[in-house]
Amino acid sequence: MDEDDDCPELVPIAGNPLSPGEQIPVTIITGYLGAGKTTLLNYILTEQHNKRIAVILNEFGEGSALEKSLAVSQAGELYEEWLELRNGCLCCSVKDNGLKAIENLMQKKGKFDYILLETTGLADPGAVASMFWVDAELGSDIYLDGNCFYFVLNHLTEEKPEGLVNEAARQIALADLTIINKTDLVNGEELNHLRDTVRSINGLVKILECQKSRVDLSQVLDLHSFDNKDGVNLAEKLQLVKTTTRPHLDKSILTVTFEVAGSLSEDVLNVFIQDLLWEKAFKNQAGLPMKVIRLKGIVSIAGKANQVMLQGVHELYELDETPQVWGKEPRVNRLVFIGRNLDREILQEQFISTVLKVGDRN
Amino acid sequence: MAAIETRECETEGCSSEAKLQCPTCIKLGIQGSYFCSQECFKGSWATHKQMHKKAKEDKNQDEAKNCVENDTNTDPWPGYRYTGKLRPHYPLTPMRHVPGNIERPDYADHPLGMSESEQSLKGTSQIKILSAEDIEGMTVVCKLAREVLDIAALMVKPGMTTEEIDYTVHLACTARNCYPSPLNYYNFPKSCCTSVNEVICHGIPDRRPLVDGDILNVDITVYHNGFHGDLNETFFVGEADEGAKKLVQTTFECLMQAIDSVKPGIRYRELGNIIQKHAQANGFSVVRSYCGHGIHKLFHTAPNVPHYAKNKAVGVIKPGHVFTIEPMICEGAWQDETWPDGWTAVTRDGKRSAQFEHTLLVTETGCDILTRRLDDHGRPHFLNQI
Repeated sequence: MDEDDDCPELVPIAGNPLSPGEQIPVTIITGYLGAGKTTLLNYILTEQHNKRIAVILNEFGEGSALEKSLAVSQAGELYEEWLELRNGCLCCSVKDNGLKAIENLMQKKGKFDYILLETTGLADPGAVASMFWVDAELGSDIYLDGNCFYFVLNHLTEEKPEGLVNEAARQIALADLTIINKTDLVNGEELNHLRDTVRSINGLVKILECQKSRVDLSQVLDLHSFDNKDGVNLAEKLQLVKTTTRPHLDKSILTVTFEVAGSLSEDVLNVFIQDLLWEKAFKNQAGLPMKVIRLKGIVSIAGKANQVMLQGVHELYELDETPQVWGKEPRVNRLVFIGRNLDREILQEQFISTVLKVGDRN
Repeated sequence: MAAIETRECETEGCSSEAKLQCPTCIKLGIQGSYFCSQECFKGSWATHKQMHKKAKEDKNQDEAKNCVENDTNTDPWPGYRYTGKLRPHYPLTPMRHVPGNIERPDYADHPLGMSESEQSLKGTSQIKILSAEDIEGMTVVCKLAREVLDIAALMVKPGMTTEEIDYTVHLACTARNCYPSPLNYYNFPKSCCTSVNEVICHGIPDRRPLVDGDILNVDITVYHNGFHGDLNETFFVGEADEGAKKLVQTTFECLMQAIDSVKPGIRYRELGNIIQKHAQANGFSVVRSYCGHGIHKLFHTAPNVPHYAKNKAVGVIKPGHVFTIEPMICEGAWQDETWPDGWTAVTRDGKRSAQFEHTLLVTETGCDILTRRLDDHGRPHFLNQI
């Protein structure tokens, strides 16, 4: 019984949810085989830094395994942990099994500073994101920091069956950050064209380029894409986004943006968003329903002094007050939609006629 | 509504805020033991470790007689720190058999109890609109589920074990040509869920006799002719104290207020606002980890119906939708944890939790409570016990 005389390491008090400042960010990384994703993650794991980073490799979100391995990096040392995915009641449980498993592991072994989740290339980042984009009310120790899509030039330009090209476009649409690897193999003109293509799909995404998977970690972490900490940056970014102008390519994903001055009624705004995202009630000129994949904006709610951030992924959306207060300038609502069959005029018209009408007084 | 209290470091003379805990104390079940830092802890280690020594001695004394009394084991997971007074009473009787002529759901014969039909729809938020035929099937199965619950209610009294109630439920199901839906659902070992006091939901019926003053929830789901029907009620065992009465009454009201608001056009996310408002007004909290769900040919499917306020649930209520509302309301804080059996959900602070559930069919003007009680003016059983 000698070991009982050794003073053990204290652990954080169980059951205390972390305050927002202490929550752990999760970044989801998707990408195809051959893009260099695994090289990137290994680089992050072995590189010397002061953070305790956990990388969950591959196949995350596939339900049947009972255990998943997790590589943890601390001060450049690599070791392995195991996530127990209890098969208990998947039914009416609000938190995904994977999310609970990570939380349990952190309770037993202490907190990470960062979690990177690698998925297989064709996993739906929207579905994985929704696992981690939980209601603030649930008091999770984890928050979703952003989606990162990792690819090389070929993936977008090569003659591939239409399905695969669409897939890359969809991944870009849902990404908050894209990393283009192997840019040393690409000439200047091709690179520009590639950047333009990415921009036309997703007007908001941050684009990073690298060679041999070497990226500056500070550019990848702390994206804050899903919380309101980035309020000021978001407002600035939104102003810079342009609606995609391209000859009619019906099935492609585009970015549409508009701004409307005035204040809105929160209830009517909710109905508008729900009609758009859930009911798919708006159609473009060809009669095809508009399908929004990603939605971001800053809106002015009548009676609220603070700017309100709007965030949506597929059908999940949230309105969240930011710390930024509206100044003396007239209040302007800025919205960015990324998706298919979007028609800017129709959307803006609908928005103005339904939402703005009711809350017209500033 | 319990806020998170700031705790003070245990070291004599130190009053800094404590955010860390001694892991050995956790293992030994010693409450408290909060410290502000590792250094401070080391400083008082010499005295602190005496607490471990004493706890181990006490435990050794108890171990011999406590755990296995009358062949009942109440400590199947040594080292697990229970949040309240309730203990499992093992071993469980072997898994019960359902006669071969009764139609079985897909998971009944899966080795891990997985439902392929549910898995194939995982993640979708499309809500089924039931046909007239489906509605007929749901009406029948919900009525049968209600009959089974009413029978279980008769069994609730001090001294009765939850396993005995489960056996009765099992027989009542098979007598009505129903498969008891919980049986083997993701390997759940019994035919209904029995949740006592601090158990929030998914309690496993075992050898424990009910004690005067307990509150007990019995959750029944039955499968008949391809459809599932789901309901639950909380009952008093013997005499209830005032706190129990208030908790159970408020929980029932939360459910009924939510049901009253159900009509086409209302968003599913709104139901949580109604429930939490009423719970909070009475000083109670709402469990967040478990929610209501769509139910028809699948046991659990879209929509997801959280019971707490400000949730992101997707969907608008429409005629032909069928789903459950099943709020779990707590005396203390809402945080839950799960026993090592992988099922039993308990409150982290060990205080009591109550629940009520109905399966609802949305109509053009509102909703039908498919699992409503048909006799005794439709009153829940606990009102007869007050």
